[in-house]
Amino acid sequence: MKTTTIAFVSTLVFVSAVAVAQEAAPNDAQIASIVVTANQVDIDAGKLAKTKASDKEVRAFARQMITDHTGVNQSATALVKKLMVKPEDNPTSASLKAGGEANVKKLKGLKGAAFDRAYVDNEVAYHQAVIDALDKTLIPSATNEELKALLVKVRPAFVAHLEHAKQMQAALAKKS
Amino acid sequence: MVRTSMIVRTQYRIAAVLVIAVVLAGAAGTGFAADAAPATHTVLIDGTRFEPETLTVRAGDTVIWINNDPFPHTATAVAGAFDSESIAPNKSWEYTTKRAGVFPYSCTLHKTMKGTLHVE
Repeated sequence: MKTTTIAFVSTLVFVSAVAVAQEAAPNDAQIASIVVTANQVDIDAGKLAKTKASDKEVRAFARQMITDHTGVNQSATALVKKLMVKPEDNPTSASLKAGGEANVKKLKGLKGAAFDRAYVDNEVAYHQAVIDALDKTLIPSATNEELKALLVKVRPAFVAHLEHAKQMQAALAKKS
Repeated sequence: MVRTSMIVRTQYRIAAVLVIAVVLAGAAGTGFAADAAPATHTVLIDGTRFEPETLTVRAGDTVIWINNDPFPHTATAVAGAFDSESIAPNKSWEYTTKRAGVFPYSCTLHKTMKGTLHVE
């Protein structure tokens, strides 16, 4: 009897978790919007940091972020066009955009080593958040195979960026 | 009855000759390959990875790295034997190997990318 009750409760929890996941799962048009916005947010931060950062390596990293994320967005935009999907704004893309704007606003008020640290700290958090979103939401939810393949293909670049940002974060902490 | 066994024997003989011929041709083929002109090998850069990650070639062979990602990468030997510098999307870079050795390399832009070139 006890076992049956536990099994029933587990099933109920599982079912509601799936229901929540289904409710929260973005469609391909929303995923496209999330991907484009996520890349654009990092391009915008990079544009500020490539001239404002005081550390040479941080400036080089910022230039690379502009190049890499512009490349990813070009691929994403070309695919979306080919699939005739119109990126659709959604709460996740809106919150990414707002977060990006707040970050740029904050960075504009900083300079020197404080700017470098704030930019790099945000890069670490941003790339970790994007990887989590790719793994937990975007890749599992993408229904179009080509869209899913693009997400899988670009994921390792985000991991490389994260490692690079973490290594700079450690180096900047030693400097101060 | 005699005729049948003769035919069978002849067939065996033909088969044996064929087997020897094939073996000889195979050996000769291998021999020629060993002296053949240098070969060209391809490493595909895709999904921020080198494919294959490990490649074995002979000294004098050429290796072409093709960048299939939408952003630049490099193929840079850790100890300095070769450096492609930036390879733009859809572009390639080739390197003709000179001396035998094991050459670990990486992408200077994405340090998670690692490969090894074995030159025999």
